[in-house]
Amino acid sequence: MHDIPTFVYILSTALATFAVRVLPYYATFLNRLPKFIAKCLRLLPIAALGPLIFPGVITDFLPQWYAGLAGICASFLCAYLKGGMIFPILLSVLVTYLALLF
Amino acid sequence: MHLLNGKSVSYSPLAGKKAKEYYLKIMNSKQTKQSLTFLRGVQEGFPICVGYFPTAMAFGLVCRDVNLKIWEALLFSVTNFAGSGQFLAINLLASGSLLFEIFVGVLLVNLRYAFMGAALSSKLESGIHGIKRLMLAHGTTDEVFSVAVLHNGLLSYAYMMGLELVSYLGWVSGTVMGFLVGMILPNELQLAVGVTLYAMFSSLFAQELRQKGILVLFIASISALLNSFLVVVVSMGTGWAFVVSMLTASIFGALITPEMEELS
Repeated sequence: MHDIPTFVYILSTALATFAVRVLPYYATFLNRLPKFIAKCLRLLPIAALGPLIFPGVITDFLPQWYAGLAGICASFLCAYLKGGMIFPILLSVLVTYLALLF
Repeated sequence: MHLLNGKSVSYSPLAGKKAKEYYLKIMNSKQTKQSLTFLRGVQEGFPICVGYFPTAMAFGLVCRDVNLKIWEALLFSVTNFAGSGQFLAINLLASGSLLFEIFVGVLLVNLRYAFMGAALSSKLESGIHGIKRLMLAHGTTDEVFSVAVLHNGLLSYAYMMGLELVSYLGWVSGTVMGFLVGMILPNELQLAVGVTLYAMFSSLFAQELRQKGILVLFIASISALLNSFLVVVVSMGTGWAFVVSMLTASIFGALITPEMEELS
């Protein structure tokens, strides 16, 4: 999917992750960041969820745009009501599969 | 790993009341008042391992789905050991984002580890340097942090290694298992399996919503709408659109959140 070998991407993300993990073990300024910045950083993972789902879940299944949408609705409801990840994901695959048949 | 937690996004095996009771029980037991040994770390890390395994299986499934090889999926989990970061990376990788875009995106999503590490490093007993310190840093995750900071005294290297190692094994072995399960899926299901990644994120979102309330929905909706606009209407690259949407929504969220405690 790219000219650059996949393992280079993997090691790059590993480097990014390792850098933020190692930094506080050798520097102490992170304990003194302004409160607002700390709050923003803490919200980043939640803010990441929206763009991780949209618009990909619709555009990936065009012209049957509803298929992926039906799938994630199923996994969302299942995870919200019952928790867990594996079962919601499997259910989502099943629902998407059925939606693609129509 | 609180994906996107603090984990903010949590596949957290520690999220429920039962889990909290489990740890409080351990903390208050006689053993806890003794030294923090390697075995104690393993004991406390075991529930994390159990929680990581299915999540890592989901990651392995996704890797298979986007045509990675099994050794690449394994390399991902061995070298990254970061749920949200890995899910983000595989998503951007599959959508053809540039290397630098993926690097910045992963860096931002994983920034929370820096704050957890800051708290953990200040609790480590003295004399932990060099490779030992680096190894402990690599094992910092939302759940490991949540468990380790519950201890009042200084944390020993042996204890932290036990805690992190067993969690790490759960993550890595789950990835391989998920990939192998993906290999035996019937062909007819291959197209539908394309929804796996999104299903995983929506499951994470459901868990976050349940734990932290309506603000999660609000923030994620802003970032989803903005990202859709940037990608579909403006035709911005997926990696940068992701970064812009994520930063904007988190700043907006911080502005409307009066107290940090509301999300904890």
